[in-house]
Amino acid sequence: MKELNFDVVILGGGPGGYTAAIRSAQLGLKVGLVEREELGGVCLNWGCIPTKSLLHAADVMRELESATTLGIEVGKPKFNLKKMVKRSRDVAGQLSGGISHLMKKNKIEVFYGDAKLRDKNTVQVEDQVMGCKNIVLATGASAKNLPHVQADGDLIWEARAAMTPSFMPKRLLIIGAGAIGVEFASFYRSMGSKVTLIEMMKQILPSEDNEIAEMAKRSFVEQGVEVLTETGIESLEKKKSKLVASINGSERIFDAAILSVGVEANIEGLGIDNLGVELKNGFVLVDEYQQTSVEGIYAIGDVSGVPCLAHKASHEGTICAEAIAGELPLPVKKERIPGCTYSYPQIASIGLTEFAASERGAIKVGRFPLIANGKAVAINDTEGMIKTIFDEETGELLGAHMIGPGVTEMIQGFAVAITLETTEADLMATVFPHPTLSEAMHESVLSAFGRTINF
Amino acid sequence: MPKEIYLVKVGMSMTEGMVSEWFIPDGGEVKKGDLVYALETEKVNLDVDAEYDGVVKHAVEVGVTLEPGDVVGYIFQADEEIPEDLVGADNGTTSKTSVEDKVVHLEAAKETVPVVVADQSPKVNSDGRVKSSPAARRLALELGLDFRAAEGSGPGGRIIERDIEALAGSMREKTPVQLTTQASFKASPLAKKLAETRGIDLAYVSGTGPGGRIVQLDVENAEISVTSASSERGVTAELSSGPHAGDVVPVKGMRKTIATRMHQSLMESAQLSMDMEVLMDDAVKMRTGLVEEWAAEGIKPTYTDLVIKACAKALTSHPMMNSQFSIEAISLLEGVHVGMAVALPEGLVVPVVRNADKLSVKDLAAETSRLAKAAREGTLGLDDYAGGTFTVSALGMYGVDSFTPIINSPQSGIMGVNRLYDGMEWEGERIVKSKKMNLSLTWDHRALDGAPAAEFLVEVKSLLETPFRLLV
Repeated sequence: MKELNFDVVILGGGPGGYTAAIRSAQLGLKVGLVEREELGGVCLNWGCIPTKSLLHAADVMRELESATTLGIEVGKPKFNLKKMVKRSRDVAGQLSGGISHLMKKNKIEVFYGDAKLRDKNTVQVEDQVMGCKNIVLATGASAKNLPHVQADGDLIWEARAAMTPSFMPKRLLIIGAGAIGVEFASFYRSMGSKVTLIEMMKQILPSEDNEIAEMAKRSFVEQGVEVLTETGIESLEKKKSKLVASINGSERIFDAAILSVGVEANIEGLGIDNLGVELKNGFVLVDEYQQTSVEGIYAIGDVSGVPCLAHKASHEGTICAEAIAGELPLPVKKERIPGCTYSYPQIASIGLTEFAASERGAIKVGRFPLIANGKAVAINDTEGMIKTIFDEETGELLGAHMIGPGVTEMIQGFAVAITLETTEADLMATVFPHPTLSEAMHESVLSAFGRTINF
Repeated sequence: MPKEIYLVKVGMSMTEGMVSEWFIPDGGEVKKGDLVYALETEKVNLDVDAEYDGVVKHAVEVGVTLEPGDVVGYIFQADEEIPEDLVGADNGTTSKTSVEDKVVHLEAAKETVPVVVADQSPKVNSDGRVKSSPAARRLALELGLDFRAAEGSGPGGRIIERDIEALAGSMREKTPVQLTTQASFKASPLAKKLAETRGIDLAYVSGTGPGGRIVQLDVENAEISVTSASSERGVTAELSSGPHAGDVVPVKGMRKTIATRMHQSLMESAQLSMDMEVLMDDAVKMRTGLVEEWAAEGIKPTYTDLVIKACAKALTSHPMMNSQFSIEAISLLEGVHVGMAVALPEGLVVPVVRNADKLSVKDLAAETSRLAKAAREGTLGLDDYAGGTFTVSALGMYGVDSFTPIINSPQSGIMGVNRLYDGMEWEGERIVKSKKMNLSLTWDHRALDGAPAAEFLVEVKSLLETPFRLLV
């Protein structure tokens, strides 16, 4: 066995890990990367990317169904589930191959297998032992089970099974209405399933602004999704290839269920507990440069805590690579990370919710409904709103919350604004192109200061 | 017929690309769908798969730049005759590319030609001078250009004003960014707004954002960083042990702020200085008396305190000296807040005595000693820095007789306090020993002219020479 020594060994080849690897290599470090499944991680193989392929298919279905409004006669569209799923797998495969190429290009040595930390400078993968000056934990997180309900991949699915269905369930129960649960509800509803979405918290999408979450709920209900908030699952039993669920004391029959009740950090078997790496709420505790309580051991992405988002992971990957290389990167402010849910309607947000902002001090809130936006009317998709929240004294943009068509692509406008620390004055002085949905962003800002033009 | 393997086009904007790796060796067998080669372009990398079964023959080597659609190799069917070596063979592809390469290089060279000519062979006289008009040279100087780089179009190839304009025009096209650089604080709009609402001078805030931009966090931390100066302490220790010849001292932190502010002040205003001698006998007597009087309370007025008081009092009747000049208007300021320059090992800080005109000498002395102590301990608050309208700077303790202080922008004046010395006075026909001191006033000629400035200085002198007026 050849002796290997690296400046950095990264555990996990997801969006956090591979970004950290490339950035480290760019900074002249010798990098090793360990992956136990496929490069690209959950995001690329079993999360963001393949589900976007499925949700895009659902969007096209819906557009076709409403095509007659636009004067197009297409008849009733039919879908081929097998092809739809295959395409989503092909997309994942294509992109994963791309990462493999990037590793080669950046001369990053990739090892496949389970990694274990022998000490803070030694990583073992199968029989291969490697010495390293720094270790980056980028092992991600896995779907959580409930004490009384466990995913079995047969009728009770977690995300991975839910995006590779072998049949289209007529009656589908979704437990947990975070972004993942809501996206699946939207997909399966568009495909014709009768969906029941239950959530323990007061609102669906618990991390979103309450008003936006309520609008989303109303829309889902209109589309025929049964939404039950402040509702838990009492029991879920398999009986003759059906599921019998007890919800609010009554028995309900389902063909399948999706369990989307959050994630837990992948730390088992890494051996970090022996090294004194501290945890917080089950996730690895890190400082603003992503270093754990043990010097030289870093953690990024899902394993280092919420929000569990790919773009948070890759940004943290960059920060920790630069910190390891002795640079002084800018730590990321958690409230400046945007979040997107690709359901119909789409939901996107950044910063504080109205409630959280109002707890801090005096605020100004702007709202602009898409029904008053010319482009939204033209494309026959007027359900939605842009909401902006400003600090009354300084004009700081504290939060932006959007629901409706295209908002997941538009939120970056406010992300740039927040990162550059613009105030309402700069946003008002910005010229937004007409006719676009983004004009609603401008109008929302104007509205916060009583200056809206088109509403 | 062998089937061509093409350099695939990825995206509309792809104009060239190369094979960065052959996955199938020359002469190797391939199955449809197997990866054949890795494509590398400016923007993307892509692994390309085979469209047919067969034997792969390379037509180009790794790393040769090609256009999309060019043939990079062939796939031969089982029954086809395979030539020995195709790489470098005249199949039209490689030669075409190399010609294009040359074209590109020639064009690149052409672009730089005029510049080179202009730089290296200016119109030189027999005595080695470049013929140019004074107006042209002045304009070049103003624009920060080397006038010799211009192409002379005047009589005998003389460089005249319009040639400089033409040069500036061509420079602007090439380097638009450089010509638009401006000296201004890099701060986020929110940081500016926060600084404004909290009365924080951004000049004292160092930026930690991208490219040294001052961001929200910096303004919020400003109090801590300015006052505790914890990070500066290390610098202090280094500096007080003395920098050695040959050291390179980085310009950062307080030094950087001072450098920027002082240079800016000199660039942006019309400063000039004048000195005046002050007879200090009575002031010395009074101060000695006051020191004794207030000894029990631990208050010890300094000569600088007396000057601050005299300036503050004089400023109330000379509002032009207590003003801020801008291109549009001169703002005469309502309050009289006098900054006092305090030298620290790591640099200068200027805490402000607020409403100095309204403070009694006793209160003023107490306040200046509090500020000086806080400055040395690094516990000055942001309020202690804010809003100065005039500044007093003392170098008397070093035996300085006269200097030209630099205005603390955007103020309009600064008073330099020099050493107290034993001078001579005429008493009738007799020379007597007397205490004297020079005051060095710098003011902004944009705001006020020499005569009113002199009147202000005379007023300060008069107050110090009849010091009881400072007490009433």
